[in-house]
Amino acid sequence: MAVIEFHDLTKRFGDLAAIDDLSFEVDSGQVVGFLGPNGAGKTTTLRILLGLATATEGSATINGRRYEELDRPLHVVGAVLDASDAHPGRSARDHLRIQAMLGKVNQSRIDEVLDLVDLTSAADRRVGEFSLGMRQRLGLATALLTQPEILVLDEPANGLDPEGVHWLRQLLRDLAAEGRTVLVSSHLLAEVAHTADSVVILDRGRLVTHSTLDELTVGVVQVVRIRTPKADELRLALELEGAEVKTVAPDRLEVCGSTSEQIGNLAATRSIPIFGSEAESTDLEDIFLKLTNHADGTKALR
Amino acid sequence: MLLVRVELLKLRTVRVTYGLILTVVALTGLFAIIESFEAGKTSGTYAVASLNTAAGQVTLTTLTSWSMILAAVLGLIVASGEFSHASATLTYLATPDRKRVLLAKLLAAAFVGAIFGLAAAAVSTGLGLAFTAGHGDPILLGGVTMVGHAAGAMLGAALMAMIGVGLGSLVRSQLVGIITIFIWALVVESLIGGLFTSIRPYLPYTASTTLAGIKLGGAAFGPAHSVKGGSALSFAAAAILLVGVAALISFVAARTTVRRDVA
Repeated sequence: MAVIEFHDLTKRFGDLAAIDDLSFEVDSGQVVGFLGPNGAGKTTTLRILLGLATATEGSATINGRRYEELDRPLHVVGAVLDASDAHPGRSARDHLRIQAMLGKVNQSRIDEVLDLVDLTSAADRRVGEFSLGMRQRLGLATALLTQPEILVLDEPANGLDPEGVHWLRQLLRDLAAEGRTVLVSSHLLAEVAHTADSVVILDRGRLVTHSTLDELTVGVVQVVRIRTPKADELRLALELEGAEVKTVAPDRLEVCGSTSEQIGNLAATRSIPIFGSEAESTDLEDIFLKLTNHADGTKALR
Repeated sequence: MLLVRVELLKLRTVRVTYGLILTVVALTGLFAIIESFEAGKTSGTYAVASLNTAAGQVTLTTLTSWSMILAAVLGLIVASGEFSHASATLTYLATPDRKRVLLAKLLAAAFVGAIFGLAAAAVSTGLGLAFTAGHGDPILLGGVTMVGHAAGAMLGAALMAMIGVGLGSLVRSQLVGIITIFIWALVVESLIGGLFTSIRPYLPYTASTTLAGIKLGGAAFGPAHSVKGGSALSFAAAAILLVGVAALISFVAARTTVRRDVA
């Protein structure tokens, strides 16, 4: 059952269509990655969904109703739109006290969410002293305060260090396991690849595709870079297995058609040492170049 | 009522509220000291009647005009601060009905504005009476008069805070709003009021000082301070005028900028 629906959504700023006839749905209990390069219209779409901006045409609804029509909206949707949403002169705890009062939730919940986002020790510091990553965590704490069934997150990984990104992925997995619906935007496919059931890709305000990750990456060949002192021997072995191999240096190969694991296993059986292995991530730009037939799309199709 | 409590909690949890009220107290005290030295001088722009007269004592115990200006600044910050600090997003996510948010801000700002007026009245009355007693002059003002002036200062500052909320909702820019308030109160009203004495009673800042018992022109800056002419509005007329200005600005904001997209 669809809990978030966009129908023929259009937003124009003068002659510019920031969103152009966008339609897609998010089913209950699904984690959906909302992807697109900067300026694709992701944030505008989410702001219309949350009643912060008006659509020129079309509709965006939650549980079949516009955000403004929801009863106790904070209990239905939790949102993180901007890491700077909290007043910089206020402490994190005071910020959450205000949100708790608005959401009519028990003040004891504040300590729970502070602990959840690992900000307990910084709770009484002013938000203006926080790093971007800490502000993102506070934003997530704010969104989770009322334990909403739906979460709308706009680029929540921005500003997080690698440890923070790992923590965010785990949090999204936990939220998905609890059966919550999550619509999470990003300009990096890798950020949502580990958790999203499906991805919606937007480009210049238009829907490019709404598909599962497997469907999306069909036909996209991953390149694995290998460093080995026996490059020629490994190359021969890989080519016998049907992989496409290119020697880029006396001790370096680029392999298409095999995964890192397959290459590692093959090298092990032939006692070929591997000093380094790096799988090139299938990033959003590559997918876009392929899907939108941009002029230099050959890079993604190699 | 919940939204008003939330707005009051917002004000209680930022330093600017306390900074503004301390500024009200400091400026009121400073002007009380300056004017006590001016009392009894017969010449000069800011000449004050002798403290052995009721007029001189009224002047010294009603130096509450800074609370009107800074209450307007507070109101402006209550509204435009949400946009300066991007916190409007969370406010409107919790309460999508923006007119209810505006109403709550008007009421909360009025409440804190009244506290500004009370603080200024307490400082001004306290120091005024102390200086009068220090001169060895008898206190000629009755308690009812002084309480009336204090209540008027509270009402004037409350209504100026509401005007500030309306202005802040309309312009959204904190810097532009604050500059507008100071230029309006310190320059525009002094200029217009000094040149056109028939209009002077109807100017908002002047009307707010009328509520506090300040004589017409008494809160003007520069040469306009000593310009005579025109008669002050009655207490009720001044209050109605300020309510009308606050309502008009807030109505225009509600119909225009408040409905705009939140970036």
